[in-house]
Amino acid sequence: MDRLTVVCFGGTYALALGSELLRFVPGLRGRWWGWLTAVLIGLGLLVQTAYLANRGREVGSLPVTTSFESLLAMGWVLAAIALYLVVRAEPGRPSVAGAAVLGLAVAVLTVAGLWAPRTSARADWSNVLTFWGAAHGIFLVLGAVSTCLGFVFGVMYLVQAGRLKRKEGVWRGVKLPSLEQSERWHRAAITVAFPFLTAGVLIGLGLVVATQRAGQAALRWTDPKVVSTVALWLVFAGLLHARYRADWRGRRVMLLTVVAFVFMAFAMGVVGLVLPTGHGGLAVLGGVREGSEAVVGPGEAAP
Amino acid sequence: MRLLALGVDHRSAPTGLREALAMEGERQREALGSLRGVAVGCECVILSTCNRVELYVAADEGVVLPEVEELGRWLAEFHGVDAGVLAGHLVAHHDEAVVGHLFRVAASLESLVLGEGQILGQVRDAYRVAVECGACGPIWHGVFQRALRVGKLVREQTGLGAGRLSVASVAVELARDVFDRFDDKTVLVIGVGKMGELALRHLKALGPGRVLVTNRGFERAMESAERHGGEAVPFERLDEALGEADLVVSTTASDEPVVGWERYSRLQRTVRRGRLALILDLAVPRDFDPRVGDLDQVLLYNVDDLRGQVERNARQRRSQVDPAMELVEREVAAAIVELRHQRQAGVLLRQLGDYGDAIAERELERFLAACPDLTEAQRRAAERLVHRLKNQFLHHPRQAVRTAAEGDGVRLGGQPHPLLAAVRHLFGLGEPEGRPGHPG
Repeated sequence: MDRLTVVCFGGTYALALGSELLRFVPGLRGRWWGWLTAVLIGLGLLVQTAYLANRGREVGSLPVTTSFESLLAMGWVLAAIALYLVVRAEPGRPSVAGAAVLGLAVAVLTVAGLWAPRTSARADWSNVLTFWGAAHGIFLVLGAVSTCLGFVFGVMYLVQAGRLKRKEGVWRGVKLPSLEQSERWHRAAITVAFPFLTAGVLIGLGLVVATQRAGQAALRWTDPKVVSTVALWLVFAGLLHARYRADWRGRRVMLLTVVAFVFMAFAMGVVGLVLPTGHGGLAVLGGVREGSEAVVGPGEAAP
Repeated sequence: MRLLALGVDHRSAPTGLREALAMEGERQREALGSLRGVAVGCECVILSTCNRVELYVAADEGVVLPEVEELGRWLAEFHGVDAGVLAGHLVAHHDEAVVGHLFRVAASLESLVLGEGQILGQVRDAYRVAVECGACGPIWHGVFQRALRVGKLVREQTGLGAGRLSVASVAVELARDVFDRFDDKTVLVIGVGKMGELALRHLKALGPGRVLVTNRGFERAMESAERHGGEAVPFERLDEALGEADLVVSTTASDEPVVGWERYSRLQRTVRRGRLALILDLAVPRDFDPRVGDLDQVLLYNVDDLRGQVERNARQRRSQVDPAMELVEREVAAAIVELRHQRQAGVLLRQLGDYGDAIAERELERFLAACPDLTEAQRRAAERLVHRLKNQFLHHPRQAVRTAAEGDGVRLGGQPHPLLAAVRHLFGLGEPEGRPGHPG
């Protein structure tokens, strides 16, 4: 049933993406195409908002308690940003940024629908732990969304810079944002992403300690999820540092952002899917996998 | 219904003559008033741009369209131009050809610079002025509104208007691809020759925060800086200026490169701290070592790069002529069908009116003859009654005919709407006179 619902709004976003991509064909640049994209995204958002609200009502908290819900929330924010970018685009022109962000939203929802675990290990948590678990999820979702935006703007910068360096004309009248604008948006996205990620990771580490002390099932410090998330934070710290260094402007920072994005996809996605982890699903991806052995038992000290 | 477009354009007349015929603002309104004195009862629009001056005149049924010679004489007299000279440059389009011509003009397919964007606004202004002066009627309302739509469609659906076609505008476009805003940017112009002056004029349109001008002869730099509201910088302090500038335009006549790779590389690393820079090296031979363009965060374009871009844009526009023409022809066909329907509906509406009037008059006469003792007030009341009855009786048929005229003419392949034939049959009206397949 969940999968069917995700197909409903994910499919609507995919249709919107198709409609926006068709606008790159010169003969299909009428203004109403843009509105069609916006209406489709709006429709998808409406259905998804209703679904998330209902889910939140059922679990009695914000719907970020499982990987599945966290990914849905992330897709929802990305779709809303895509809608803003499409509506704000120059009339009669497709929105490159809007299409890219919408593409990411569709990708995130696809992952959610197909692979994300629907269960969480927090059933036995106290109210306080549940609250901090939700905060951990929200901060990581927001950090991940900002990272996705930084990645999109970074790639747009690299494409535009490459075109200008090669002295090529505008491709079929498709205008990318200026280098300065992409750089400014990128800086904003990365600057916003870092504190969210930091807060999310710190709360996550706090939860590990708290659950260990409470004698509940907790993660080991060597759990792939913990290690990769801390490493991701270090990569971001390096990226933010590079972002404000005079000799690390432009192309190099954008390339580093692409690396950071790939790292995030690995830490928050691939680790949860392919490596055994005892993470309970409050992160963006991962969650308790049936038969997982990585959980520290009650009373057992974490290394 | 007859249509005529008469005038001169960049192909038929030299610049001097076009300048003599050009009219703007009040002069255009005055000309419209005067033209309506010659083309009595006609709908008139005057399109006047730097590349064309054209009169669009339409005459509905029962109105005489002036001859081409008569309108040519008026145009010559109004502008004090020799009529004989003007006659040799005038180009006329008649009836359906007028629609095609106007649509091509609005789509910028007839412009000197193919695909230029100004013409659509100029057609819109010409139409607006004619409407304000009361010189426009149902014929031009339909045709001009569709022409504006076609112009917009062509720009939106083809790449005819894409890309700039002059080195200066390509340079400005390039600057916009690199920078988002210019009020916090510094522009440096090296060399104040003819090219430097031209560059300064174009760059000012971007509204840069600071403009620095440097030249080997400091006097000339000061003069130029004063003219363009910039700051003159001694040539010896070029490094300092390069360190500050985000956009550099270099146009010196130096035989040797003015800025080498090592010099700029050092500046970019130290003073500029890796900030983004766009350098337009318009000098021949080049002022900047080409390797400067390989530096990170530095974009270097020389005059050949810019010309290459202009040529690519021109090729791109030329490749869009066929799709644009196809679109225009489709719209012309639709407009002509609409005009025919409009005309057929107009004729039928007149026939209906005449038919109703004839019956009303006849019956009123009979009634008055049968009642000779009626007072004047009673006679008037009877007249009003008969006319009210006639109008109410014909209200719905008239409405239906008007709606049919605005319907989908293309779907009917230019054939009269079946409703028109039905109304004609129901009211026993004869076929109208006129040539089939002709808007007038």
